Amino acid sequence: MKNEKRMKRIATYVFLILVSFIFFFPFYFLIVSITNPSIDITRGDLLPGSHLIENFRTMIETTPIGLSIWNSALVSVGQTIISIFVSSLAGYGFEVHPSRGKEVVYNIILLSMMIPFAALMVPLFRLFGTISGIVPALGIDTLFGVVLPYVSTAFLVFFFRQNTKMFPKELIEAGRIDGLSELGIFVKIFIPTMKTTYAAAGIVTFMNSWNNYLWPLIVLQSPSNYTVPLVISAMGSGYTIDYGSVMIAIFITTIPTAVIFFVLQKYFVQGMVGSIK
Amino acid sequence: MFSKKHLFLSASAVLLLAACGNGDDETGDTGDTGEETTEETSGDMNELTVWTWDPNFNVRALEMAEERYQEENPDFSLNIVENSQEDVVQRLNTSLSSGVDTGLPQIVFIEDYRAPSFLNSYDDAFYPLGDYYNTDEFADYKVAAGTVDGNVYNVPFDTGVTGLYARTDYLEEAGYSLEDLEDITWDEYIEIGKDVYDQTGIKWITNDHGDLGLMRIMLQSSGVWWTEDDGTTPYIADNEALKMAFEDYKEMVEADIMNVHNEWDQFIQTFNNGDVVTVPTGNWISASIMQAEDQSGNWGIAPIPRQDMEGSVNASNLGGSSIYVLQGEGQEAAAEFLAATFGSDVEFYQELVTEINALGAYEPAMEGEAYEQESEFYGGQQIFQDLSEWTQEIPEVEFGQRTYEIQDILAVALQDYLNGADLDEVLQNAQEQAESNM
Repeated sequence: MKNEKRMKRIATYVFLILVSFIFFFPFYFLIVSITNPSIDITRGDLLPGSHLIENFRTMIETTPIGLSIWNSALVSVGQTIISIFVSSLAGYGFEVHPSRGKEVVYNIILLSMMIPFAALMVPLFRLFGTISGIVPALGIDTLFGVVLPYVSTAFLVFFFRQNTKMFPKELIEAGRIDGLSELGIFVKIFIPTMKTTYAAAGIVTFMNSWNNYLWPLIVLQSPSNYTVPLVISAMGSGYTIDYGSVMIAIFITTIPTAVIFFVLQKYFVQGMVGSIK
Repeated sequence: MFSKKHLFLSASAVLLLAACGNGDDETGDTGDTGEETTEETSGDMNELTVWTWDPNFNVRALEMAEERYQEENPDFSLNIVENSQEDVVQRLNTSLSSGVDTGLPQIVFIEDYRAPSFLNSYDDAFYPLGDYYNTDEFADYKVAAGTVDGNVYNVPFDTGVTGLYARTDYLEEAGYSLEDLEDITWDEYIEIGKDVYDQTGIKWITNDHGDLGLMRIMLQSSGVWWTEDDGTTPYIADNEALKMAFEDYKEMVEADIMNVHNEWDQFIQTFNNGDVVTVPTGNWISASIMQAEDQSGNWGIAPIPRQDMEGSVNASNLGGSSIYVLQGEGQEAAAEFLAATFGSDVEFYQELVTEINALGAYEPAMEGEAYEQESEFYGGQQIFQDLSEWTQEIPEVEFGQRTYEIQDILAVALQDYLNGADLDEVLQNAQEQAESNM
């Protein structure tokens, strides 16, 4: 009986170790590759080499990687803060405030999730062409232009509304009785109570924004405004590719997302499950 | 109550905007100044913007051209914006189809296969260049790729002239030499391949079943394409050359002489590791082959095999791009720059060969010294001389507007055929599908 249990356990662990190995392998290959010259990477060398410094130098010399990391950071942090604030305000409003026709509006917002971004791209670009004509600082080829379409996303509104359902309405009543304004209730009661939800939404938004490719590609035109994915994509094109410097660029840009995920992991899982204590 | 709510909403909105304004101030500013400077210089158009890809090839070539042009025009400069090729296509498509000309460049590189669809879809967007340089001095097929209704819109850049890259040491081991691969048909190529594979155990060719580059090489050597001359009508079911290409392909697979790779880096890995004897492809592969320094002296380039039919020649093309000018402010300056460099500068083409192994399609340049150099890596062969000679023999075909679209259909057809379906039926289906997509 006991033996059987142990065997089961061993089998589970063997399985888990195998799976984690499979998941870890690409990362291992990345780490090994940053130390190898391009030719060894294409040859599939799995042992560390001594080419790290050369790769690093090539990357620094041939790409605006530092600048693009700074741009990406600005865009991602800005987008995360603005969009979770705006979207949570909307999600909260939809759930808490009674209003005629709100379900219809809400459903229309949800339906917009079904339109692929590729279909919106040309009209969106036209819109930004007009914006550029009026306020150039918000239009084409500005970092603000990258953020603007994502300030309110259907997914986040939906995510916050679903989580607001679990928010105890008594707290709102209590706030009102104590004389808090509606916005005060939102800022002083709702946000602190829903920390985990905000953390989860924050991680998702940050990662989406950090890895966002298509829209920045279209809207950003001067290399000095490029975000990281655009720079890496450009490195990987051409008749001959220096895989060493590509790998090191990828490695450097993986770090922020990895760090943020590990730091906020606890909240992330809680937020996804949706818990209020 | 109601007005209070409104007040809060608007107050928060103002606050939020102010906060964003602060946070992004810096970027807003840099964006601004960036625009101002381009506008200033674009007034007299001394700085031209170029969209292109490939830092070691296109970008380097542009920088060299810029430097040469600056000797006569010291105020001239280029702002080279580098993206991957797919990205350049994506951005150009979005900008042109939305009609927003903010930020569009003056000069853009377009791959020859894609050029006809751009020129036909956006007919007012491109500036005709035919009067700026002597088009007769370039290989016909390159100029044809950028010509619509008799107007030339391109200045040709690199040729995708193909060669049969081969490992001479493996060939010798099996009792063959590079001469045995010269002026042969694909059938003869396959026969030799089987023999070499039997003797050495090394695969004869490597290919990706999803990439029909090999078929494109075969078709162009016979002067046909998978669309008719109008550029849109599919030419599949009755296309003898295509049928032959499918048959040859299947024979290579069934004789087990073909190694199958899935990705570009696997392709490079295969020949860098010495796992394949021949690589029939465009000359731009040279740099990747020469990465494997330990294989120096063991490679040679033979002319590409031809199809066993009338009109087929031992010369073909794969890839290659041309340079285009967009209509708008600065179009004349851009055209003059291109005409003076890529369009007529013999010495510039010599430099291209020496510095970055870039082979143009400009006939007068071929006489030069740079083309006569012997390549140690290729066993002392005068590879540039040979490749340029083959360039002049490449048959002209109308690439049309659907090269990649129909390639996707044919890739599925090829898979069916390899799985045992009847060839005529497979091609007939592909023809119908391509017609219904029109």
